[in-house]
Amino acid sequence: MKQTGENYEEISTEDLKRLSKQAEKEAAPSAGRIIWNEFKADRPALIALVIVVAFILFVVIASLFINTSKMMETNILDYFDAPFKDGFLLGADAGGRSIAQQLIVGSRNSIGIALGLTVISSTFGIAWGLISGYFGGFVDWGMQRVYDFMMMLPMTMMIIVIVTIINNYNAVTLTLIFSCFYWLGTSRLIRSRTLAESKKDYVAASITSGTNPWKIIFREVMPNISSLIIVDTTLSFAENIGVETGLSYLGFGLPAQTPSLGTLIANANDPNNITEYWWTWFPAALEIIILCLAISYIGQVARRAADSSQRKSNK
Amino acid sequence: MSLIEINNLKVHYPIRSGFFNRVTDSVKAVDGISFNIEKGQTYGLVGESGSGKSTTGKSVVGLEKVTSGSILYNGVDITSEKNRKKLNYNRDVQMIFQDSLSSLNPRKRIEDIIAEPLRNFEHLSKNEEKMRVLRLLDIVGLSVDALYQYPHQFSGGQRQRIGIARAVATNPKLIVADEPVSALDLSVQAQVLNFMKKIQREFGITYLFISHDLGVVRHMCNNIAIMNKGRLVEVGSRDDIYNHPLHIYTKRLLAAIPQIDVDHREEHREKRLQIEKIYQEQSSKYYDQNGLAYPLVKVSSMHSVALPPQEAKKYSEKEVEV
Ligand SMILES: Nc1ncnc2c1ncn2[C@@H]1O[C@H](COP(=O)(O)OP(=O)(O)OP(=O)(O)O)[C@@H](O)[C@H]1O
Ligand SMILES: [Mg+2]
Repeated sequence: MKQTGENYEEISTEDLKRLSKQAEKEAAPSAGRIIWNEFKADRPALIALVIVVAFILFVVIASLFINTSKMMETNILDYFDAPFKDGFLLGADAGGRSIAQQLIVGSRNSIGIALGLTVISSTFGIAWGLISGYFGGFVDWGMQRVYDFMMMLPMTMMIIVIVTIINNYNAVTLTLIFSCFYWLGTSRLIRSRTLAESKKDYVAASITSGTNPWKIIFREVMPNISSLIIVDTTLSFAENIGVETGLSYLGFGLPAQTPSLGTLIANANDPNNITEYWWTWFPAALEIIILCLAISYIGQVARRAADSSQRKSNK
Repeated sequence: MSLIEINNLKVHYPIRSGFFNRVTDSVKAVDGISFNIEKGQTYGLVGESGSGKSTTGKSVVGLEKVTSGSILYNGVDITSEKNRKKLNYNRDVQMIFQDSLSSLNPRKRIEDIIAEPLRNFEHLSKNEEKMRVLRLLDIVGLSVDALYQYPHQFSGGQRQRIGIARAVATNPKLIVADEPVSALDLSVQAQVLNFMKKIQREFGITYLFISHDLGVVRHMCNNIAIMNKGRLVEVGSRDDIYNHPLHIYTKRLLAAIPQIDVDHREEHREKRLQIEKIYQEQSSKYYDQNGLAYPLVKVSSMHSVALPPQEAKKYSEKEVEV
């Protein structure tokens, strides 16, 4: 098997290093570089990225300095304080609790749950879709029947029922409960792309090269649907912020003593609050709109970066 | 013993339809073909688009689930995955794919693409591996710069050569070359073909050469099988096929080879039209009521043709006399 080598003159190690270096200079830019170039070429997207990252950092760090149980104590004297009164930057709610502080802690909780939910459900959905689509046949058939069964269940109702049955839950268990249901859409999307991708000859070439199926799935096929994965994950992150918020708004999300964007927006349930005490719900609503818009904008840039034909930057 | 013996190979794709997604029919991509490939030769498989050439080739490298029949490699049936694993089959049998762009993972650098079979079948050190890849690049005439580039940065001819470099990386004994040059222009075609011949001489590679172009096949192959709608219509040596074709489908394919001979252009045209006319008249005779070719009958030691039953009788009687 050494045959090939002996027919061509030996190359020394120094030559090899030199040649490699020379080749590396000519190399195409790495994925990280491409995404960064794409952000630099698109000003609004860069701003969106800065807003989202800075906001998350601020919320996480600032919430460390807030004593949550003290913050949630009722203080009748500050009943519906308007913004800038009594040192309340964004006013206070019916319990005299600082809206600004609740917003910070609530944002951390909501974003944390959305992030956790996105990581867990996307990872699971992607793996499910890849495996189902790549292997096909009986594996696919079985996995799709599980999918169909899960689809049949009324999701929101199931979550509400589970949350009602388990009376002792916190942010982590809530995230896990959500995750059981939110991988479905991702898995279907990934499966259909994997079906198409697996038919391409580079997969056949990998099989004849002796690469094992798992490696083909996660190292060959997955990188080729990365643009889909990135876009789907960013968009589900934006969507997942709405999941917890929506349920908390309905009163089935986090327990009442744990603030979240949803519980803040729930202040709008009272018709008085909507017009007269707008500061109790408006900042949270505005925050969600801005966050979701910024995140989907980032998703679009990531898609462009992943898909070479759509790039704006010419690098 | 032949290197490859294909016996009555069938590959049928199920067609599912209806409410229960049941199998209602099948596409008979390959429908009972048999031929042998001897060591060191280039065996040509020719046919029009959709005749099942790629499916045959993919079955030989073990990419296709075979419906029935067997493919023996050195006497071992490699249609079973267990046998392929035991033999480390794909170390010895590789494929050059029809579509060079889709056969190279767009997300991988050329270095990783060419090194893939090496990493799986031969456990080399990082340096040895890089050396091998560099040599392979050198063999196929690409510069070192290619190492860290991606497939889309190359031309069609260069990509085809990258595919060849990957196919020869483990020094295989048999390479299935699926239309390796049909996407290339004439000058590059010659380059790639000559290169394939060169490595054949150097490493003693056997080729199963798939093509729809009889001109190219004449340049490359010692033995040729003509395929039509999943069946073989004529099998023989280069001389049998080019100088003594017996099946009307073969005659028609031969007439379709473009001629550069300007002086006799009119003559060629006449001849082509005449053969086309004969083909139209006799196709009901040469194909059964389903439009499929008849089974092959031996007309000489090497030459077999799918003749209609009444003519086939003549040859089988003659064989008895001999
Ligand atoms: N995965 C598949 N499912 C269903 N039918 C298929 C599949 N692959 C191939 N076929 C059918 O099998 C037949 C033979 O296909 P094949 O790719 O072997 O043809 P070919 O001779 O290589 O043609 P070409 O010269 O165009 O490459 C075609 O009719 C095709 O539609
Ligand atoms: Mg083909």
